[in-house]
Amino acid sequence: MKLVTKCAAALLALGMLGAATPVAAQEKIVVWWVKGFYPSEDAALFEAIKKFEAKSGIKVELSQYAVQDGIPKTVAALDAGNPPDVAYFDVYDFQVLGKWAFEGKLEDLSDILTPMKDKFLPNTIETTYLQNDKAKKRAYYGFPIKQQTMHVEYWKDMLAEAGDTTIPETWKEYWAFWCDKAQPDYRKKTGKRIYGTGFPMGVDSSDSYYSFLTFMDAYNVKLVDDSGKVTVSDPKVRQGMIGALRDYTTPYTKGCTPPSATSWKDPDNNVAFHNKTTIMTHNATISIAAKWFDDMNNEKLKPEEREQAKKNYYENIATAGFPKKPDGSPMTYRAAVKTGAMFADSKNKRRGKEFIAFLMQDENLIPYVEGALGRWYPVTKSGAARLSFWLADPHRTSVQRQFSAGTTTFEFTKNWKFTVLNNENVWAKAMNRVVSEKWPVEKAVDEMLARIKEVAG
Amino acid sequence: MKKLVTEAKLLLIGIPVAIWTLLPIYNLFIFSISTKSEAFSGKLWPDHPTLRNFEIVFREEHHFLGFFWRQLGNSLVIAIAVGVLTLLVATTAAFAISRLKVRGGRVVLNCALLTYFIPAAFLAVPMYKAMGTYGLLNNQWSLILAMITIASPYAIWVLKQASDKLPFELDEAARIDGASPLQLFRLVYVPLMAPSLVAVGVYALLLAWNEYLYAFLLLSNERDVTLAVALGLFLSADDSPWELLMTTGLLYALPPAAIYYVFKRYMQSGLTAGAVKA
Amino acid sequence: MDTGRRGRPVFRVFKAPVSTAVLPHIDAVHPGPRRRLSSWQSWGLVLLAPYVVVFAVFVVYPVGYGLWLARHPASYVALADDPVFAGSVANTLLFLIVAINFKMIFALLLSGFFVNTRAWIKWLSVLFILPWAVPSIPTILSIRFMLNPEWGVINQVIFRLTAEDGPNWLNDRWLALAMAMLVHVWKSLPFWTMIMIAGRLAIPRELYEAAGVDGASRFQQFRFITWPSMRTLYLTSTILSMIWTLGDFNSVYLLTGGGPADLTHVLATLGIRYLRLDQVDLAMATIVCAMPLVLPLVYFMMKRLSR
Repeated sequence: MKLVTKCAAALLALGMLGAATPVAAQEKIVVWWVKGFYPSEDAALFEAIKKFEAKSGIKVELSQYAVQDGIPKTVAALDAGNPPDVAYFDVYDFQVLGKWAFEGKLEDLSDILTPMKDKFLPNTIETTYLQNDKAKKRAYYGFPIKQQTMHVEYWKDMLAEAGDTTIPETWKEYWAFWCDKAQPDYRKKTGKRIYGTGFPMGVDSSDSYYSFLTFMDAYNVKLVDDSGKVTVSDPKVRQGMIGALRDYTTPYTKGCTPPSATSWKDPDNNVAFHNKTTIMTHNATISIAAKWFDDMNNEKLKPEEREQAKKNYYENIATAGFPKKPDGSPMTYRAAVKTGAMFADSKNKRRGKEFIAFLMQDENLIPYVEGALGRWYPVTKSGAARLSFWLADPHRTSVQRQFSAGTTTFEFTKNWKFTVLNNENVWAKAMNRVVSEKWPVEKAVDEMLARIKEVAG
Repeated sequence: MKKLVTEAKLLLIGIPVAIWTLLPIYNLFIFSISTKSEAFSGKLWPDHPTLRNFEIVFREEHHFLGFFWRQLGNSLVIAIAVGVLTLLVATTAAFAISRLKVRGGRVVLNCALLTYFIPAAFLAVPMYKAMGTYGLLNNQWSLILAMITIASPYAIWVLKQASDKLPFELDEAARIDGASPLQLFRLVYVPLMAPSLVAVGVYALLLAWNEYLYAFLLLSNERDVTLAVALGLFLSADDSPWELLMTTGLLYALPPAAIYYVFKRYMQSGLTAGAVKA
Repeated sequence: MDTGRRGRPVFRVFKAPVSTAVLPHIDAVHPGPRRRLSSWQSWGLVLLAPYVVVFAVFVVYPVGYGLWLARHPASYVALADDPVFAGSVANTLLFLIVAINFKMIFALLLSGFFVNTRAWIKWLSVLFILPWAVPSIPTILSIRFMLNPEWGVINQVIFRLTAEDGPNWLNDRWLALAMAMLVHVWKSLPFWTMIMIAGRLAIPRELYEAAGVDGASRFQQFRFITWPSMRTLYLTSTILSMIWTLGDFNSVYLLTGGGPADLTHVLATLGIRYLRLDQVDLAMATIVCAMPLVLPLVYFMMKRLSR
């Protein structure tokens, strides 16, 4: 018997050590949220959570994941019938939200969002008004908290070192500049094996399709009409796509973009830019510049590092827009509205909605958005009106200008099936066909258009 | 002369083997003693080696290292729990099958081997669902139990093979002297099987320490995950703290290596006792 | 533990007369080829119970659920239509056939190397186990960083020596797959070498000495002494390794993440990909498709090992 009791005692001890079950009978909500790029983003979120817990007496059980892990974990949780109460990841809107709404997996949030409808900027909350095929209705199935658009970031000091300070403003000349002038000049001057551009091309990233779709916009390609019908049979669409894909893949084939770009995840083009492997990159937020702002204020860094960060942010890095379109007209940008959701199977919906409503209040949402140091633009009129923040430095001013000039929306706001296409990343697949498998551009475009028709048509 | 040639031939094998084995680990080490700029320069030894990275990790000074000690502790607790409990489950099962010749023992052994039918990586999502049904999600027990399930088949097999080698006369003698099964287990079986038991326990411990996929799926909260999962989070960092990742990785790699070397004597004989059949 | 007069352990608690009194009764109720006390049998069941419970709760239910999720024929059609699936099957087969044989042959050869009693070889064998003992994430990520085409150590060295850019290790389908196989071999070779060494050590030295006296060459010694003794162990190890390798998720996932554009996926990593695509039924269907590969291997192992 002694052995058995010994084992039982050991088990009990281990159980007490290892188990994480809380003893308190306090009410709680489970929140899954993306891990911020900077401490200040997360700090603002934690602050809002703390205030909510103090006000409502409810415990918030927060789990944070990397952006590309959010969807697999949510899918597993949905399948197990055990989703969180509230969840937000930067890629929800692109890749899954429309589909989940259609399949009836999301909870209707109209009761908290309709009353606050008027505080939103145009083209923001409309994107969360989605079709639920199970319940046969349209409603607000997600809560918008911030938005993003495409920017170009480049190192002014690297260009100065290369001796090339005038950047062309027309399409073809612009891309040729980085490839045929900046890169060879810099390499000759310094002997370092750097690349002129950093084109994100990884299948497992959202930067790749955001950037590609921006190129597509430059060629005035419209994949859906306003009613959501797919227009890929139009020969003009095919021509535009071929142009866009060719222009997007040429830097890689010419050796102007790092070879590892085809397996980049979202942070990797940032990484390549930060360690000056690339002179320029296009990115869907100004996270690249903002990182240096964050470092500038980071007390844990040495003073010289902070000085360098300050120099980088204010002097060395530039945030700019795209060049003029190939047809000479000014570039138009698409904005993506970042949306969180609650699920039909969530356990504590009432309290979860309280949390969402709380978070959406200006005194919580504005610090959260601004905690991202300009990486995200507000969706509320009050947020956009805070010019003291948005005109504070050249990077944010550039962002503000782009948004004020008006943006367009993604295809999936009209046809939810495009979220499936984004999720499987037909765009990056086509790029990889061309650069890794050496397909001719026309063939890759035909395959891509066929797949779009198959999924969304 | 012949001795020299043989020595040269052996070195010709030995040196490539040494480089092959140690290169990735050396790279890990180099990254951890380099500053960020030097880490990417591809040098074989940094010009200015530094211990600053270790300081950052130990003091949890980086955004992604906020829970380093807690997560290290989680890894440790889970690994030890898996090691001990797998040992318990496997030893009792092997004893019952091999020594007590329990009816249905062979069936159970076949069932255990059948768990290889679907390799662990495939079972990850159904396991997630099962844990959800049992209400164990976000609880470290889900990972512990999942790892016990994965480690047990091999453990039982090794122990059964090893115990088949023990002469049955010992059992008969004990029985004649009036021993109960438990006494046989406790006083005869366990002491004789000690080397294999240590080996199996360490094997299960290493398996649990090294596990990524299940830890990633079954655990959520940053406070509850193991260090393996936390390392994965680094890959989504925007400022490429690869040298910190490698430093944390090195620290994460040291305990299992140390444990293995402490028990090395048992490992080699214990794990292979089952494999070698005359 | 006491030892009695004859040097055998004495068990103080249990008294002999009680057991013999019980014995005839039990024999009458449970006649069988072996005489057993029923309490022994019941203890056997009790001791077997923990594993049976673990099996029922954590194997039967998840496997059953997985199979149930994979019940739609539509999943298999979708799977067949997906070019990534076909590619993954090809990759997996290549992995199994090439990587495992490569690994086992090396394990066999290296085991001969490591039984040597020189001091430096003994030290090398101690270091040799590191890849297996040390966790995958830091080491495989370390290899991934080494292979980075821009700033990885390997290409930097190549550039320094040849002024040419090194190959794009992880972004070309076949190179990346080859690297994943190498990573797998790197990680698991020590374990199998250890097994092979144990096998070699079990061969009596007299056989080699006698063969040496008879003038046999080293190759002949291998062919007529070593190989016949090691043959079954080699085969068993190869089969077991195939089963384990089929489930090797880390080597591919941590090195290439499925490779450029899902080109280096193997069946083990495909599950996570379908999870990301919110197609859980396809993930389960993949498992069912992998079963014909595993079934004969497991059956073979079961026959061998449950003797």
